[in-house]
Parts: sequence; structure tokens; C-alpha cells
Amino acid sequence: MAGKGFTRNFRPLEILTEEEVEAIHRGMLEVLWVTGVRMEHERALKLLERNGCKVDHDEMRVRIPSAVVEECLRKTPSSFHAPARDSKNSLMVGGNTLCLAVAPGNHTVDLDTWEPRPATRKENYEGVTILDALPTVHFFSPYTPYFGFKDVPPCMAMLESLAARIRNSTKFQCVGFSNDSEVFAIKMAQAVGIEILGTCAFAPPLTVYRDAVESAFRFAEAGLPLRIISGQVMGGTAPATIAGGIVTNNAEVIAGLVLAQLINSGTRILVKDFSASVNMRSGAPAFGGIEICLHNAASNQIFQKYGVPIDDTTAYPNSKMPDYQSSYEKAFRILTAGLSGANTLLFHGSVHGELTHHPIQAILDDDSAGMVGRFMEGFAVNDETLAVDLIEKVGPIPGHFLDKAHTRKWWKSEQFLPKVADRLTYPEWMNKGKKVCLDYARERMEDILTTHKPTPLTPGQEGDVERILEEARKFYKDRGLITGEEMATYRKSMKSPHYPYE
Amino acid sequence: MSAEILENLKKAITGYDRERAADWARKAVQEGIDPIKALDVMTVAIRQIGDGFGKGELWLPDLVGAAAAMTAATPIIEEEIKRVGAKRESLGTVVIGTVYGDIHTIGKTMVASLLTADGFAVKDLGINVTAESFVKGINEYRADILAMSALMTTTAPEQRKVIEALKKEGIRDTVKIMVGGGAITQEFADSIGADGYDPTAPGAVELARRLVGTQRRK
Repeated sequence: MAGKGFTRNFRPLEILTEEEVEAIHRGMLEVLWVTGVRMEHERALKLLERNGCKVDHDEMRVRIPSAVVEECLRKTPSSFHAPARDSKNSLMVGGNTLCLAVAPGNHTVDLDTWEPRPATRKENYEGVTILDALPTVHFFSPYTPYFGFKDVPPCMAMLESLAARIRNSTKFQCVGFSNDSEVFAIKMAQAVGIEILGTCAFAPPLTVYRDAVESAFRFAEAGLPLRIISGQVMGGTAPATIAGGIVTNNAEVIAGLVLAQLINSGTRILVKDFSASVNMRSGAPAFGGIEICLHNAASNQIFQKYGVPIDDTTAYPNSKMPDYQSSYEKAFRILTAGLSGANTLLFHGSVHGELTHHPIQAILDDDSAGMVGRFMEGFAVNDETLAVDLIEKVGPIPGHFLDKAHTRKWWKSEQFLPKVADRLTYPEWMNKGKKVCLDYARERMEDILTTHKPTPLTPGQEGDVERILEEARKFYKDRGLITGEEMATYRKSMKSPHYPYE
Repeated sequence: MSAEILENLKKAITGYDRERAADWARKAVQEGIDPIKALDVMTVAIRQIGDGFGKGELWLPDLVGAAAAMTAATPIIEEEIKRVGAKRESLGTVVIGTVYGDIHTIGKTMVASLLTADGFAVKDLGINVTAESFVKGINEYRADILAMSALMTTTAPEQRKVIEALKKEGIRDTVKIMVGGGAITQEFADSIGADGYDPTAPGAVELARRLVGTQRRK
């Protein structure tokens, strides 16, 4: 049941002792009460104040007592329903399941040079189609596959991206926020008759700006689920120590959780532990580091204990192309998420950090995701699978198992068959042009684009999506966020006979 | 005595110690040490750190730590320079900040540290800096260079706004403008009329030197 996410059929990895979990919990409570959080939103501060928090309005600082924190943690559902446009793709997020999503990139890459460049409208839509076809992509994260695409003004990127995903996929959708884009995103979802997961992002350390809080209000008040993220870099915007990083991250996302529960009790929440260390040479986030896996394994354990669904750090590699480094960096991420208690992970398609994405990478990732999903399933131990009677029947050589009904019945569910891995023998490999997984991935990409036809919106839904996009375009034009020149280029691109798909 | 004070001032900077750097700078002033000489010693110290970083022997926390110690001591010495009416030589004054709406600090801080380490006088206005604050900063510090950072595609256009604001105030031509950050490209920099762009922090230092017409220090 890949469409529903992977079930972890074993107890999640616990790398912390109970005492350590408790120490981190107490550290988080102390930070929330003693240091507090700067929340630049007067309505939110008043709401928190009315509910027992201490607010310094001049500093816009809220200090949250332990009792409020723990009460709000209890109010948060341990699992929640995430309905998709096609109900067969709907998810239950939480518990012992892992749902995988797309990892976004600012740009695409050129497949010959591996250099980044902006994606075209066509590439964006085709990217969505490919991700819609991949069985291990369980849902879509904000602005995926690309942060934006050619000829679209930056303020419209979030909404054009959502429109593309609603049009070309029937999977569950998550959105971000930028310049009130969530108002139109919610409208679009409601018009199409779907629910979407919103986002409220903190700015570490211990700060949340108005836009993010506004997004929390809008989603929680609309009764929609909300993802609360921070996004620390340890040594930069958080302590360099993993334990200290977890304390601040948890203080941030739990402050967001408290706010959401006070806005609308019982709001469906997905918290994210989005962590990296500072690359102490360049200052950029050192994605792909193994310390991130430690950070997340610990966070997953803590949020499993809280009974709050948790989104793992996005699997961003540091390499610039799918290669040995990229493979191990992504594999460590997803395997840690699979083994420990992560509920979601943004995984497919990221090529270098959050800067690039490519469908070829997503196709390669579909195989490693399938492998981890297979691992999580585990295996059955019973009389039939132990096969003692069969072993007795076959006996020593020349006995073998290849011709047995037991083998025919079981092998396909015991083995995982990757779709684009090279599993040929040397002679076959040499005769077939020494192809590697990347070549097979390219073939699979062509195949998907030829054969996979996403379920289209009804004409009524399509009309609504375009109408809301148009409303947003006017709104941002009036706000001065789209210049005359940008609008002219944008309008010209919309005159394509294949609009909106290319 | 004065040699000992200057040595301690230098050590405070190479030892990343903000408080001691400020203390020894105050002592230098109290003892009547030539403030130009004190500033020279500080510059030698910070360049030593900058060189270590350039060679890959030191890391970002070392660079930023030393720059912070330097920044703690500099105003004390500068005030004394002003008081005695001496003239200091610097490569130029840079006003730096991350634009309004953008709160990313690390890249900007790194550039500020490396510029400090190279001998520029750097005034860091911080993050989320409005066009008005940039204008004010340029006027107040008589900047030679304005350096702006933007990490997001949605905040990059703010750099254009700042340049427009400078034009409106009639001070565009008094400063060289360099831009950087994850969302910026050479094409974008050209389109908004910036004088320079570089994708890396060490590159930004080279760029700053070119903009003030000074050759790279050997």
C-alpha cells in the first residue's frame, strides 16, 4: 500500500535514554518560559496572554508556562487524515507510518552539464506529472518541484506551483506562505473541494514573523491542518550542539503548536525538525551531514513520545549531481527516518540542497524509497515462512528451491525489485552499452511522460483555479509586487496555445 | 607598558575575546597610546585571522569571533582618533545589511567579517533593513560602499527599491553598490544597476577592493 505511506512494523529506533528525553523536554520548557519567543503579531500575543502566557508587548515576547505547553501537546491529534483529490491517495499522517513527499529545488539542472537553470513552465508541469506517477511519492510539499518557473513573477510562484500540482496530480498537497499567498491557496483548495496542509515557519533563533503567524491563523481558523517548521543551522541560528539544537528547535515548533491549538483546539499539526549544521567554510547549511540524522533520530523519538506527528529534515544532498555522495547522503537521511519514528520526509528529486531538483533524481529516489519502505515492512515469521517442512523435503544438494510453489508464492513479496537499478551480469552489461542507473532513470522518465496521464480537473474546477490565479495576479499587481514589465512577460507566456501546461 | 598593552589588544582579537578587546582598547586610550598605532595593531591581528581562514586553517566561527572582537574595540579607538584629530587610513567604509523582509544573517555576517579582516571599516546594519535605514546609514557613516544581501527570490526586488531610494535622495553616485545572496545573479545585479556582484564571500572582498580601486593585498 505505497499510496498510503509505509508502515513501520517494528518499534522505532530509540537513541536517547528516558532521562535524556526528559532532560531535553525540560530544557524546551525552560526556554519557553524563561527566554520565550518573539512573535511579531499583536493578535497572537493577546490570544496567548488570555490563555495564561506572559507577554511583553513592547518586545513582542511571549513566555509560555509548562502547563499551557503540555496541555496543547495533549490537544494535538497523534494522527490525522490528509484527504487527497483522489481518495485512494488520502493519507493518515502519524503513528507508526512514514509518508514521503517531494523535496523542492529552486531550479532544475541541465542533464549534460549539471548546471542549474530556471525551469520552464513545461518542465514544471511535466515534473508534477512524473511525481504523480511515482508510487513512493505520497504527497507534495510546498512549491514543488520548483520554487518557481520561467516568466512567473516571484510573488506568484507559490500559487502557480499549487495550481500545477492540483492540475497534474491527485495526491495530497502542502503549501507555504508568502505575501498572503495562502489566502488564495485556501480559496483554490476550497473551490476544487480539497484540503491542503498549510505552513507556519519560525525564524530561528526563537522568532516568528507576522506573515508566518498570519498563515497559522488562516489555516487553523479554516479548520485545515498546519505544518509548523523552523529550519535551524546548528552553530549559526542554533547552538552547535545537537542537544541544544533540539531544545531550540522544539521550543520554536512547540510555541507554534501552542498558538495553533489556542486558535482552534484540536488543529491537525505536523511539526518539522528541519535541521542542518553550518558549513564552517562557506556559511551555507551543511546538508547531507550525518549529525542531521542524529538530530532527527532524537527528535523523532521525542515527538513519538509526545504523540505529535513529525516531519523529518528534508533529504537535501550536498553533491551537485546524482552520484556516490548524493546517494549516501540521501540514503542515510531516509534510512534514519525509516528506522526512527519520522512520520513524513521530503525526499524525492532534490539534487543539490534546496537549490536544484530534477525528475531523474526523483526516479532514482523512488527506488531507494521503495527499498526503505520494504525494510520497514519487515517480514513474517510463521510456520509457512519458516518453511521447516519444505527444508526437510528439499534436503541437501542436489535439492533446490527454485522449482517450488513456496518460492513462486513468496519471492516477490520478500524481494524488492528496483525499477532503474543496474542488476545485469558483466556480459549483459557490456553488450547493452554499459548502462548505469542514470540511463535507466532517463528511460523511465520518457516512459512516464508518454504513458502517464494525470486525472484532469473537471472544467468547472479548472475554471475556478484559473479565476483564483487571475484574482491573485491582480492583487499583487495592485500591491506593486509585479512590475509592468514582469506582467507583460507573464501575460505573453500565458498566450501559449498549450497554456497552462507549457 | 605600551608594547604590552598593544600585544594584549592583538591577543584579544586573535583570541576571539570581545570583552578583553574592548578593555585593552580602553587601556590603550587611557595610557595615551597613539590610536593610529593601536588600530594598525588591530588590523594586523584581524588580517592574521583572515589569512588563516583563507588558507583553510581557521574556520567561520574563528573569523566571525575575531571580527566581533575587532568590532568591540574599534569604536573606542576611533573615538580617540577623532578626539586627537588624527587621520586613519582604511580601505574604505562599507555599510552592509540584509534587505527588508529578509532575515538571513549568516552570509551577510560572513562578508562583513571578511571585509573587516581585509581592512575595511564595516558598519553592519543587520537584517530586515529598510531602504530608509540604508539611506540613513550611508549618510551617517559616509559610506564608500553599500553591500546588500538577499537570500530569497521574493526579497531580491527590495535591492532594486533601495537603489531607487538612493537615486531619489540624490546619493546614488556617492557610493559603489555591491549585491549578493542566494537569490542574486549577475543578470539581476546588472538589471537593478548595481556596481558589482559576487556569489562568494571571499569574492565579495575582491569585488570591494576593485570598487574602491585598491589592488588585492599580497
